[in-house]
Amino acid sequence: MNGLILDDPDGTLEMLRDSVVGFSARHAGPDVFRARRDNGGDLDREVWSAMAEAGWLGLLLPEDKGGAGLGIAEQAVLSEALGRALLTEPLAQLSIFSSVLLSHCSGGECARLAEGLIAGTALVSPAWQGRDGAAAPVSARKVGEEFSLSGEMRHVSAPTSATDFIVLAEADGKQMLVSLPVSAEGLRIETAPTLDGTRLGRLSLADVKVKEDALLAIGSEVDVAMDAAVTTTRLALAAEMAGIATAAIERTVAYAKERVQFGKAIGSFQVVQHRLVDMWGEAEFASAAVVNAVETLSEGQNNASRLAILAAKARAGEAAVNITRRAIHLHGAMGFTDACDIGLFMKRAVALNATLGQPEELRLQFVALEGVAA
Amino acid sequence: MAQQQDWNALSDEEFRAIFAEWVDANCPAELRFMRKQRPLFDEVSVWYHRLAEKGWLSPVWPQEYGGMGLDAGKHIVYVEEWARLGCPRIPDHGIGLTGPLLIQYGTQAQKDFFLPKILSGEHVWCQGYSEPNAGSDLASLRTSAVADGDGFIVNGQKIWTTLAHCANWILLLVRTSNDGKKRQNGITVMLVDMTTPGVTVRPIPNLRLEADFCEVFFDNVYVPSENVVGEVDQGWALAKAVLGHERIFLGAPSRPAYALRRLERLARDRGAFSDAGFVSRYARLRLDLFDLGSAFERFARVLRAGGTLGPDVSVLKIFSSELYQRITEETLSVAGEEARYWDDLPTGEGDVDAMNLYLDSRAPAIFGGSNEIQREVLAKGVLGLPR
Repeated sequence: MNGLILDDPDGTLEMLRDSVVGFSARHAGPDVFRARRDNGGDLDREVWSAMAEAGWLGLLLPEDKGGAGLGIAEQAVLSEALGRALLTEPLAQLSIFSSVLLSHCSGGECARLAEGLIAGTALVSPAWQGRDGAAAPVSARKVGEEFSLSGEMRHVSAPTSATDFIVLAEADGKQMLVSLPVSAEGLRIETAPTLDGTRLGRLSLADVKVKEDALLAIGSEVDVAMDAAVTTTRLALAAEMAGIATAAIERTVAYAKERVQFGKAIGSFQVVQHRLVDMWGEAEFASAAVVNAVETLSEGQNNASRLAILAAKARAGEAAVNITRRAIHLHGAMGFTDACDIGLFMKRAVALNATLGQPEELRLQFVALEGVAA
Repeated sequence: MAQQQDWNALSDEEFRAIFAEWVDANCPAELRFMRKQRPLFDEVSVWYHRLAEKGWLSPVWPQEYGGMGLDAGKHIVYVEEWARLGCPRIPDHGIGLTGPLLIQYGTQAQKDFFLPKILSGEHVWCQGYSEPNAGSDLASLRTSAVADGDGFIVNGQKIWTTLAHCANWILLLVRTSNDGKKRQNGITVMLVDMTTPGVTVRPIPNLRLEADFCEVFFDNVYVPSENVVGEVDQGWALAKAVLGHERIFLGAPSRPAYALRRLERLARDRGAFSDAGFVSRYARLRLDLFDLGSAFERFARVLRAGGTLGPDVSVLKIFSSELYQRITEETLSVAGEEARYWDDLPTGEGDVDAMNLYLDSRAPAIFGGSNEIQREVLAKGVLGLPR
């Protein structure tokens, strides 16, 4: 399996891939997944610190914010490798989404968050969605030197482990991004388990007071930041799902070569072979779509990159979900057990596919943007 | 013949501009976007000869043989522009099959005699491979050639021979021995003049009631020994070797892309875009085409970098041909009550050949190695699955 084939003149991408392989030898993705799930956790602190040490957090933060200043190609390759290794910490939200938001912010609080994010000491979780996933800012009111925030946020990653939230708020028709410490008075957090062995939170804010200097961005800059964060994270999720798709077909092919029935490897049966070929083809298309999106975005954020990213997230999501589901079937009864890793790949695929837009919704956005109907 | 230049020294975009400008100015308007997938030689001979005069008929042959000498990357540009501008397919077995085979394996005399006649249009070639009992299983072919004096006597039958009725030469795979342990041994490649006594061609009307392909019968047909290509009994490897980077074109997005534009045209005219169900189905087809472009690019890049294609390129052919079918099926669905008419459907933006495309789209999943054969190739060659 080829996975993402990207130009790699100085070998940075290969190094990133290798570092994930080495990492997963010390922190086996499936083991961490099960342990975190069984403990009711939303994030594994030890793994998270190790990821910070590996330099994987805040990859996209510019150098003037202490980041590596790496590009989307590096992030995509890292995400793909994490998907392959089934390392399921909420990197997409706490590293990628938050990093992109912070790239568009300024001031002391922004610098503090960026620094902590990179070091792994601050767990900065974006809080901006309503139940349907669309942006749903809480209402903000200026009271003297402070803002008072009230409202509710859904689908917040690492709600228990987070140290800080970046909250989307709105005052007088103007959107703002506000830094909110987990300890803020009036902040209530409920959590619920997810399919991929983590927890998501529901944040209820009742007259929560934050200081003026907690304001990270305001006005049109917020629209730009949110748009970039959603777009970039979608691409990273697509890359991660392409990695899951590739790993799932690799494992299933290996299993079909091993598993003997009727005196032959089941992979010698034509009906099984053709199913495996179709699964492999979907994974190849997913990787090709992600590569196209990475390259298009590298040339600048515009209509073309928007289309390419919508396509990549839709393709990779559908591929990951379809492939892992069929992979379970080809593993037979073993595939239905919790002990078999293939089921974890399926669960992770379904969860990521549901994050930031499912394929149908993304495809409709794509054709609306192209405007062929007119 | 026009002077050639080193086309490969140009950037893809420079070459694209030069090629497209001339093609757009010289390919006759009445031949653009023809309903017929495989027009006869006489129907497109004007275009054939214009290309020949310009020296652009044969993109891949080395320039010393009268070709443009394009590398695979430039060839992709050539094919893309050809499709984009709606140029008709010309009878191209001489250019794409016989020519490259002779350039690689032919004798000097064969090259000197045959290549110029392909470029001039004097010789129109067809491909005599498939037989009634040797389709997907080509190695089981039985048309026989028995040595007789200075030549061979050929007996047997070929079928699905595209455009045999407007060809005057046929590139023939024949069985010259049955001794080998493998059926692939004992096959020989021959160049056969179709005006030789004993050759009979019978066109076969297809689903579109056009006669693209034919049966060709050989009844004691004499073929001189100098018309054997390569070694006697060693023809299988030659026949396989000829398709190199061209395999990428079996999976090119051009057919489904054309069909999707026709679907969009019909859908706009018939108001289908106001139907949420249609928009959802359309969106899937549109994205499939978009992603086929990304996947095609992945393989094109290998060629541009001077690499060779592996068996994995078959994934494009499967996806492209099946997408083409799904698009034409959706087009008939949009046509509604009109989906039983034979003729093209009129719209405010021009006609839509809904039925023509629906019928035509059955073919690419079958030819060039059926999609099931392609899946076999992928299962064994890429996934390494056991027999």
